[in-house]
Amino acid sequence: MQKHNRHRIRNLSLLVVSAVVLWLLHGLAETALRDTARLSGWLLFGMIVFLAAYNVRKKLPFLPLGSSAAWLQFHIYVGLLTAVVFGLHIGWRLPNGGLETLLASLYGIVFVSGVAGLALSRSLAKRLTTRGNEVMFERIPVYRKRIASEVETIVLTSLDTSESTAIAQFYAERLRPYFSVTRNFWHHLLQSNRPRFALLSEMKAYHRFLNDDERLVMLDLEDRVAAKDDLDYQHTLQATLKYWLFVHIPITYALVAFAVFHLMLVSSFAGGAW
Amino acid sequence: MPTFESIQRPERWSVPFSADMSDKRVDRILTVEPFRTLDPKRFRGKVTLRGILKNDARLLRYGPGDIVVRQGDWGNSVFFVVSGLLRADLGAASSLPGEVLGRQKLRRKSLFEILAQLWNNPADPEVRDVESYRTDPRIGTREVDSQTRIYLQDVSAVLDKYRTATIAVGQFFGEDAALGRTPRQATVFAERSTELLEIRWQGLRDLMRRDDGIRAHIDDVFRERGLKWFLMNTPIFKHLDKDEIAEVVSQAEFDTAGQYDWAESFKHLVKQGIETNLEHEPVIAEEGHHPNGVIIIRSGLSRLSKRYEHGHRTIGYLTPGQIYGLDEIIDGWLSKTPKPLSASLRAIGIATVVVIPTRLIEKLLLENADRRRLAKRGKDARDPLTNSPKIDTTRINADFVDFLVQNRYVNGTATMLIDMDRCTRCDDCVRACATAHDNNPRFLRRGPIQNNIMVANACMHCEDPVCMIECPTGAIQRRVEEGQVTINDWTCVGCGVCASNCPYDAICIVEVRHDGGDFIRDDKKHAPIVKATKCDLCADQWGGPACQRACPHDALVRMDMSDIPKLTDWYTRNVAITLRVMTSGS
Ligand code: HEM
Repeated sequence: MQKHNRHRIRNLSLLVVSAVVLWLLHGLAETALRDTARLSGWLLFGMIVFLAAYNVRKKLPFLPLGSSAAWLQFHIYVGLLTAVVFGLHIGWRLPNGGLETLLASLYGIVFVSGVAGLALSRSLAKRLTTRGNEVMFERIPVYRKRIASEVETIVLTSLDTSESTAIAQFYAERLRPYFSVTRNFWHHLLQSNRPRFALLSEMKAYHRFLNDDERLVMLDLEDRVAAKDDLDYQHTLQATLKYWLFVHIPITYALVAFAVFHLMLVSSFAGGAW
Repeated sequence: MPTFESIQRPERWSVPFSADMSDKRVDRILTVEPFRTLDPKRFRGKVTLRGILKNDARLLRYGPGDIVVRQGDWGNSVFFVVSGLLRADLGAASSLPGEVLGRQKLRRKSLFEILAQLWNNPADPEVRDVESYRTDPRIGTREVDSQTRIYLQDVSAVLDKYRTATIAVGQFFGEDAALGRTPRQATVFAERSTELLEIRWQGLRDLMRRDDGIRAHIDDVFRERGLKWFLMNTPIFKHLDKDEIAEVVSQAEFDTAGQYDWAESFKHLVKQGIETNLEHEPVIAEEGHHPNGVIIIRSGLSRLSKRYEHGHRTIGYLTPGQIYGLDEIIDGWLSKTPKPLSASLRAIGIATVVVIPTRLIEKLLLENADRRRLAKRGKDARDPLTNSPKIDTTRINADFVDFLVQNRYVNGTATMLIDMDRCTRCDDCVRACATAHDNNPRFLRRGPIQNNIMVANACMHCEDPVCMIECPTGAIQRRVEEGQVTINDWTCVGCGVCASNCPYDAICIVEVRHDGGDFIRDDKKHAPIVKATKCDLCADQWGGPACQRACPHDALVRMDMSDIPKLTDWYTRNVAITLRVMTSGS
């Protein structure tokens, strides 16, 4: 078996065991009439602070704080374990107070975005290697503009040499909008080739209105359509890989802030009765 | 009229070693022993003695204290003392400290300095402390014949303090590095004003071919100094006694295949197809031929390939210390019928090899070995002669091996490999690198991709560091213990030779700034000071390369390409089925 699979199985087993142990301990504490909400609350808070600290670790790459990969592994499994602690903390019921509902929602968003982000990281990275050239995200607009201006030149040149405006018309109606911006985000994310296929089919069908020279020009344009589509694909996947963190991180900060507030409130009401 | 561009066909001496080697200087050398008494009749045809001296040699002057070579330098020339006197540092416990030689001492940052990077890191890229560039009292630099020299300030103090040996007029030194493509073994500096004749390896080779005296002399010194140590440390000979080792040393043959300056032609070669590239690699031993001995790689790299249909298939590569042809010799010995070689061995760039005759291998290794174990060694997980675990190279995809060899990435001892199936393109590696290196990343997350593996554009810390050849001040150096190739920012004169020598474009020349953000300029012409920069594997940081530590998805590694088990494990860690190399024979 390969290294990553081995690790996955080991870590998942550890996770399940920890979850069961926590559950049992919680049950025991309840029968012993302990203040379980306080225990699980502090545990949850500690775990969330640890999870949020990953952001700090990333900002300090030169400190000898362990590898980011090791952090992420802990992050994922501790993150998943928070679901059990969170469930125990709120007694597996939807909260009703305003602040509690807000806190639970923030937690829910961070948790779900984390799981989704992990799934995206693992699946999209693989898909990126299968289509189009490897491009730097920041350079994609430059390449797109380059293709667009090449296409414009091809069309203008064909206009100079041919009497018909068939190509220019097609360009104005169908191609210019296609090349001007990144398109078909959802199709690319869901791995659907429908828009590419549809546009290329339309171009093929248009051949019957063209003479031999124009057909060659059209073939040239079809290549660019495919190249631009590949670029859009890269853009969609790379953008998704980047931007999911724009949900996960800011909401984390909100969660930590409100959790501190929540802690202060409950501590002041409880009056320190341990 | 044919329309093509024509040029004079480049010949061996189209570009002489030095333009300063005038006829007058050559005449002078021809009055000095041993050149005076060399038999001109042995130098027939185009390669005359005069020609060698004029085109493959140069005369260099050194002042008292000037350093000629430092231990660990990379070079491919031999030196001959024309006048003056030199000293070689005998090393061991009392060897000259690196700082005295213009070397940076490897010093990890203290915990406080590591933390201080939090608030001390300037916002601008490539900021240097100007004070650190002001002269260190212990070393000096000076210009001699338009070359920058590092010199020892106080030669007599050095002589008192360190154990040195003299090298006098008429002696050669540096032959081991020139012939063996290995690092210089000792630091040599001038005690008095000295003139040296530096002969590049091609010239040395021709002198040795044509003069028995020079050959015998260089050969003796080379066997005694370099070869003996190497063979004693080769696993299959480790158990031999002193006399047996002496027998191996005396019968060993030495061979160099390939070009010393392979890096220049390499860039053009990569663009061509595999067969052309293979043709450009000189054959050391050919598939189907009978082995005349065991071949041990002493330096450089070599490709193993098998004929397959109309082409050749790369099945692996050998790195220094590895052995080729032993299996065939064992099979031949067991069955009493000689067995032909099952694969071809070719030099990638340049390789130097030592050949130990078959008869000697049979006598010293096979006759005493356990015959039954030898016969069943295919199934044995350990090598029957050395008892060390065997390396299985068949688990890596053949195209990937071909790609690594083709692009000569196998030269790397810390090649940056990125598994693009796991990389989320987050650039944490690039950011971490910039944070650890003057706000300017020392690599680009860019490079060719084979299957799902990218070889990123980062210094690989080569086995054969061609960047180190010709550095005028020895600022670029390989750390003897750790093996990283690093640049001493203080002694780097920004000449750019290393950057243009590096065939992988891994070295950048940058303009440096001071705290205020402006460029630091020289006091005469006010031109910006430039420095060579490259990946140093975070030698001064804690915990190893920041790029690797910063990768959240375990996608990036710095790989020693000679560690084939590690490479194989890494390559196959995500692959569910093990890929087998298809070879015609197995
Ligand atoms: C529930 C509490 C959680 C909190 C407070 C939290 C917080 C964070 C923070 C602060 C980061 C750092 C991002 C950066 O600086 O780049 C991060 C990254 C990440 N988290 Fe979470 N997280 C939580 C749960 C989870 C869960 C349950 C998972 C998945 C099972 C997860 C998966 C990830 C992944 C994959 C990354 C990004 C790694 C990368 O590509 O850089 N998180 N999280």
